[in-house]
Amino acid sequence: MLRSVFAKTLRDQRRSLAWWSVSLVLIVGMYVAIWPSVRDQPSVGDFLDQMPEAIRSLFASSGADMSTPVGYLQVELMSFLGPAVVLLYAIGAAVAAIGGEEEHHTMDLLLANPIRRSRVVLDKFAAMAVGTFLLAAVTGTALVAEGQITGMDLPVGNVAAAMLHLAMLGVVFGSLALALSGWTGWAGLSRGIPAALAVVAYAVNALAPLVDWLEPLQKLSPFYQYIGGDPLREGVDLPSVLVSVTTTAVLVALAVVGFRRRDIAA
Amino acid sequence: MDEDLPVRLSGLRKRFGTSVALEGVSLTIEPGEVFGYLGPNGAGKTTTIRILLGMLRPSSGTARVFGLDSWRESVAVHRLVGYVPGESALYRRLTGRQHIDYFAHLRHREDDARGAVLAADLDLDLDRPAGALSRGNRQKLSIVLALMSEPRLLILDEPTSGLDPLVQQAFHAMLRSHTERGGSVLFSSHVLGEVQRVADRIGVIRLGQLIAVERLDELRAKSLHRVRASFVDPVPVDRFSALPGLQGLVVTDRTLQCSAPQWALDGLLKRVAEHSVEDFECAEADLDESFMSYYAREATDAS
Repeated sequence: MLRSVFAKTLRDQRRSLAWWSVSLVLIVGMYVAIWPSVRDQPSVGDFLDQMPEAIRSLFASSGADMSTPVGYLQVELMSFLGPAVVLLYAIGAAVAAIGGEEEHHTMDLLLANPIRRSRVVLDKFAAMAVGTFLLAAVTGTALVAEGQITGMDLPVGNVAAAMLHLAMLGVVFGSLALALSGWTGWAGLSRGIPAALAVVAYAVNALAPLVDWLEPLQKLSPFYQYIGGDPLREGVDLPSVLVSVTTTAVLVALAVVGFRRRDIAA
Repeated sequence: MDEDLPVRLSGLRKRFGTSVALEGVSLTIEPGEVFGYLGPNGAGKTTTIRILLGMLRPSSGTARVFGLDSWRESVAVHRLVGYVPGESALYRRLTGRQHIDYFAHLRHREDDARGAVLAADLDLDLDRPAGALSRGNRQKLSIVLALMSEPRLLILDEPTSGLDPLVQQAFHAMLRSHTERGGSVLFSSHVLGEVQRVADRIGVIRLGQLIAVERLDELRAKSLHRVRASFVDPVPVDRFSALPGLQGLVVTDRTLQCSAPQWALDGLLKRVAEHSVEDFECAEADLDESFMSYYAREATDAS
């Protein structure tokens, strides 16, 4: 498990990944278990309908329809909690990758080996991306498996598509944290700015349909790439995935450039 | 020719924002040489070392290791260098053996067996996580990691300050076998006592400037001895003040006090023996002390 920086980084995360996975399985289980009672209570749908539009769109990205399993998950899991968990993990992993290693004074030890700084950044990025995809896969598997118990009957392909978009959302913000960490080495800043930007991006995407001046910005929001194409109903939205991949590539390249040219904190 | 020179620093300067950490340091370290790099904390020792390892980019000047630029060719430099960082920072959750395993893989070398032998020589348990080790044991592990790849140059940032004397001896033996194979050592410390048994030359850095480079055997010759004598009868001052090399000479009636370098002792003793001696004392001053007083004087003279 200690064959490369990539393997070592994933190994460091194995406990945290295990706990995140267990939590995700439990969270999904809770939502799935509540589903029959929500379905049998049409008033929940009425309640959503009566909400002011601004508030409703903040909670439920698109098609707030609580009467179908897909609509229910869209509101309960996909709009808020799923992204929150994936972002927490991805940003945390990216910050630990560079800024964290500098703050623990182990970066000197690592870089004293004959290994390129760019290799270190790319390996650390790969570990963060694999971890993020793993968490999305756990969520998707739990949804399909646990959903069958309560007869939710979810379309497997679309769940997979939604999880792909979810993972890419995490990877984009993780890469931003990596880029900031690569340029500055400051863990606090590299954690705080992506977290704040995620909140802004979330609000931009959710409120754009209602606020005129936000509308042109909507497509810039990674949350739009995440859920704008409604992957849980429509499947993979290829253009959105391409935008996310490009954003990630640019951010990782910036992380490499920044990390190669600066002094390492002692 | 620089390919054979373990270290060559030329006019090395480093600024951090507005503060200057190094102000034009130039020095070379020869093959097979142990260079003691001395100075108080904050003088620039660690900055020099971290530039040599490519962690910091020099503001101007160059640092070369076997002819390779330490910033632009750092990967090639790292293949030839073993490094003990000052913090002895390690991965808390990894055991010693896992550290060895990881770094051997990163170096694409089969160093596990060598690492285990070095650890045994230093009496280090490799199966405990680094986070559970004492300061001394963490330093031992850092030393093992630096030495196991058989580097041609060892860069040690205060490597022994937490080691007990027995382990220091084992460590010094390792350094000797390293230099016997032609390896060189840059050994930083804030006390001369830590390096005087192993260093061939020492350099003293203060406020980012290299203020002295000296061979240790020459320094020893300069090191002062404190001499005190008391006589049965009063002695004349001029008999002693005429002697060369004496410092701080005080002759009062029947006693004499002074400091003298090694070479001046013979003349002094002979002169003392011309009189009836009641008591005589001669003790070598701490090398550290005489060294620092020597260079404190140099610095004052220069300014």
